[in-house]
Amino acid sequence: MSTPSSKSPSDLQRLGGSFTKALLGIAIVLFGLEFFIHRHGVVSAEESFMFPALYGFLAFLFIVQVGKWLRLMIMRKEDYYD
Amino acid sequence: MISHMPPGLIMILAAFLLPVIPHVWRQIYMLGAIALSAYGLFLGAGTHLVWTVLGLDLILYQADTLSLPFAIIFHLAAALNVIYSWHDRDWQQHCASLSYAGAAIAALHAGDLVSLFVWWEATAVTSVFLILASGTERARQAAMRYLLFQVTSGVLLLAGAAILASTSGDIRFTKMDLGDAATWLIFIAFGIKAAFPFLNGWLQDAYPEATPTGTVALSAFTTKLAIYALARGFPGTDILIWIGAAMTALPVFFAVIENDLRRVLAFSLNNQLGFMVVAVGIGTELALNGAVAHAFVHIIYKALLFMSMGAVLHQVGTIKASELGGLYKKMPFTMVCCIIGAMSISAFPLFSGFVAKSLTMSALGDAGIIWAYFVLLFASAGVLEHSGIKIPYFAFFAHDNKIETGEAPIGMRVAMGIAAFLCIGIGVFPSLLYSILPYAVDYHPYDAGHVTSQMQLLIFAMLAFVVLVRLKLYPPEIPSVVLNSDWFYRRLAPMVGLPLLRMIMLVWSGLLHQTRGLVNAIWDRLDRIMHSPLAGPTVSGRAVLVQAGLLTLLLLIAYAAAG
Repeated sequence: MSTPSSKSPSDLQRLGGSFTKALLGIAIVLFGLEFFIHRHGVVSAEESFMFPALYGFLAFLFIVQVGKWLRLMIMRKEDYYD
Repeated sequence: MISHMPPGLIMILAAFLLPVIPHVWRQIYMLGAIALSAYGLFLGAGTHLVWTVLGLDLILYQADTLSLPFAIIFHLAAALNVIYSWHDRDWQQHCASLSYAGAAIAALHAGDLVSLFVWWEATAVTSVFLILASGTERARQAAMRYLLFQVTSGVLLLAGAAILASTSGDIRFTKMDLGDAATWLIFIAFGIKAAFPFLNGWLQDAYPEATPTGTVALSAFTTKLAIYALARGFPGTDILIWIGAAMTALPVFFAVIENDLRRVLAFSLNNQLGFMVVAVGIGTELALNGAVAHAFVHIIYKALLFMSMGAVLHQVGTIKASELGGLYKKMPFTMVCCIIGAMSISAFPLFSGFVAKSLTMSALGDAGIIWAYFVLLFASAGVLEHSGIKIPYFAFFAHDNKIETGEAPIGMRVAMGIAAFLCIGIGVFPSLLYSILPYAVDYHPYDAGHVTSQMQLLIFAMLAFVVLVRLKLYPPEIPSVVLNSDWFYRRLAPMVGLPLLRMIMLVWSGLLHQTRGLVNAIWDRLDRIMHSPLAGPTVSGRAVLVQAGLLTLLLLIAYAAAG
């Protein structure tokens, strides 16, 4: 079944914008909850203010950055093994 | 009678009739065979079938609280696969996947190492046809490499079992302590199928080359059978914590830059196995529950992710991130299912991954293995990156590639729907899962602190993704191949091995040449003697000369014996 193409970059951009807003909204709620909820940590550092948020944010950046470096070393053309 | 047959065996026997059953009836027949096999599980815990062969007790059907959850989920995965491949008229693939699932289920119930070996190898020789079914030269080569690794694993297992049989005479499959050659051989055999670091190349190499339906079947059984085997044979083995931690962290980086989305999922599968291996390594009751729970939910959400990517491949004809994008309007149901799978594997609260992974993380905390705890926490952000974001983002959103297509066949959608339902169902009602774990569970994943911790980790990691995309710093999709540990035998070994082989062949042919020259020289000399002897008659041929020589030798021996 094929339907006429109705999607456009602006659709995707709008979707991306809504997604970002939703994420920011949840992030703000989580920030607020941090003042009311006591999180149990395996070590005391984990209980410090917004620790999992910071850990997740930095871990993500680190993974992507290392991935970029890794590309320089281990990325080959598609027909490398052919 | 049927209830005393090892579960799974009936599925293997049923597979023989598949070629003669017409399409659709074949699918119903397969579901019936799976149901009949599952019926055997009602026999409960205990040893139900033992054969004594050559003085060895082969325990063909043994069940306990460890085998049961694996058996349940293996049957469920087999049934899901039948539904997912409902449209497929290729009986060979159905034959392969039904007997493959049957072999894996039979292996779960093997109570001794020799029976385990038989089913261990059976999973290899049945599953390879799912890769071969792609019909390309590329798939054929990957299938041969896959088979080489799988069979090697079986041979190592058999070697270990043989040493144990000859030294202690005890081949029962129970907890072992790593130490002697036998246990190391068995450990490495399990390690190959569990895709330990540097033994993992076959997984990312072969799984993405299988057919869309074949990869779904492959993702469920082999590696989780290995996790089961490790949980039975080597619980509490410290080295597994190191190995598992490496497995969780390393594939994360490869998955970021891989372009083939099914290969991204294969890296992700490797990362998930790491969590289970760590849990087995801790070895406490909570940790082993964590390993089993993780394997259980993982089979569902990983199958769901592979199913959604298989659906995309089936509809679009490619699964390369660089050629996909913008499918969210064309395949909305598949997109929603994919996102549910992605949220489950990322361990969002109310999804199945959360209630399973929490057990392992808590066990790590309780055991005080802090370094591993933080490695796994880091790997959790990695899971979110490649399976939580990258898979749905590049397939369904990213940029509009103007792909004209529609939703996947109804069977595919039904299977995805069931898997998605289970992902949420288990996440919302974890007690259903906890009730079938090997040990009694007194664990409550949904406390406010735990939920907010996890949400912080995930939401802020997602924000990092948004920041990178908006700043155009997220690595773009590039048509490429990412080198993995299979490079060692696909490139390095030929690079070193071929010149070495050429040198050996050169020396060998030189030696042959020299020898041939020497032989010729001897014959030439003899020919001259034959035709112009110093004394006596000439000899008419070489054969006569040889006979004369032998007779002379015989005469001398007779003289010596008489003397």
